[in-house]
Amino acid sequence: MTALGILVQVMALLVVGAYIFVVADRLMVGTETGVRAALVYPVRRLSFLLLQPVTTTERPDFEAWILAPSLLFGLAAVGAVPIPLDAPSAGGDIPAGLVLFGAAMLIVLVAVYIFGWAPNSALPMIGGYRFAAMVLSVGIPFSLVVLTTAIPAESLSVGMIVEAQSNLWFVIEQPLGLPIYLVTAAAIAFWGPFDLPEGSDLAGGIAAEASGPRLATWRFARAALMVTLALMGQAVFLGGYLGPVLPGWLWTVIKTLILLVILASAGRTLARMRVQRFVWFGWVILLPLALVDVFLSGWIAL
Amino acid sequence: MTPGPLAYFLVAAFGIGAVVSGWLVFRTDSMLRAAYWLMVSFVAVGAMLVVLDAQFLGLILILMMSGEMTIMAIFMIMFMMNPAGLNPMTMVHQHRTSIIAGVGSFLVLAWVGVVAEFPNRPAPLEDPTIALGEELLGRSMLVFESAGVALLAVMIGAIALAAKQGRFGDAFEGSEEPDMDVASGDRT
Repeated sequence: MTALGILVQVMALLVVGAYIFVVADRLMVGTETGVRAALVYPVRRLSFLLLQPVTTTERPDFEAWILAPSLLFGLAAVGAVPIPLDAPSAGGDIPAGLVLFGAAMLIVLVAVYIFGWAPNSALPMIGGYRFAAMVLSVGIPFSLVVLTTAIPAESLSVGMIVEAQSNLWFVIEQPLGLPIYLVTAAAIAFWGPFDLPEGSDLAGGIAAEASGPRLATWRFARAALMVTLALMGQAVFLGGYLGPVLPGWLWTVIKTLILLVILASAGRTLARMRVQRFVWFGWVILLPLALVDVFLSGWIAL
Repeated sequence: MTPGPLAYFLVAAFGIGAVVSGWLVFRTDSMLRAAYWLMVSFVAVGAMLVVLDAQFLGLILILMMSGEMTIMAIFMIMFMMNPAGLNPMTMVHQHRTSIIAGVGSFLVLAWVGVVAEFPNRPAPLEDPTIALGEELLGRSMLVFESAGVALLAVMIGAIALAAKQGRFGDAFEGSEEPDMDVASGDRT
């Protein structure tokens, strides 16, 4: 596949995936809105934000404020590139694809921190610091559980990791992997129980001063980030495109949708966790569990 | 993979990018921008390594730098007498000393780059994992072990400083609000 082909494929994947994710999230909110209202919600919300006048603050860091949402989307796209959708994919043979994904996901910290800083306003900045504290606490467990899947596969290429699961999916072989991955992924996408960087106690936190197209891009980029995280989660833990009867790409889509729905429902059902407690949770609970995951998988692989 | 003309062009472009963004670190008046221009510089160096076929090394460099530069920005802002660091401030101080240090270190590094004889060993034919293990526990053992022990000491020290409960009691002692129960009369 050519570079242009990969670009088109990733863009289409993220746009469609983000739409489905937002609809799924709307359906979680309540039944009184109805399915039809949920289906048109992304379009209505997007057109509203695009037509909304843009407010600004006193002496913002204007360039950084413009850059941050695009950077967030760019990172989601870069993270999605090494994930194979179907068996023989050109995207799958990036030799260090898993590290490329990890690097992109950790730079999300930079995009969010910049977005909180740029408006030159107190509440977004506090949100940025909250996010920094959260991601620095779960960054290591996140990278560890993702990289652990490379141990049995003996390769950092995502395609090889999917192939290594032909006997047994890593969700069973590495039982600690997927739960830790989902928790840390939700924190990296400041989603669900870990959305305090955008919390209502901060009047919207990092997005408190954002409006119009800027907010639209930000929301879209976050939904795309969720799609990328779900794609990688199903590729390295749920066997990616492997599955009986149905074609490979359909398995990828089904598994991605399952993870997206789990994440969306977690965001609407679980209680929020205070940042201070979450930092403790990351260092004291998740990090040792992730290390146990590494040692167990290494022991099994040897 | 033999390097084509595109590889030479890319390495040169990323190299120039690294130098220019490194220069911009000192031309900006915002601590956030200074920190992240430095990150852009490191990302460009990582991209150079990727083009030079050291993909893992380059990507790991980029991965580490994203977290590190944010930590650095937070510490910079913390130590400045400038709440949150939102006000513009100059990034260059002690002009004479820094000019001397900058020119001096450039000359030393340039001299090393021109004079030193770089090894021209081809990559080992055996398994790179075995070659790495022999290097770590063979010739370079002293270097790696001393660095490892030093890093371990730093980590233990950092945990001792950051721990909630230490020799001097609970970290939150004195930082919590006093008891508001005035009626009872005893303020504990």
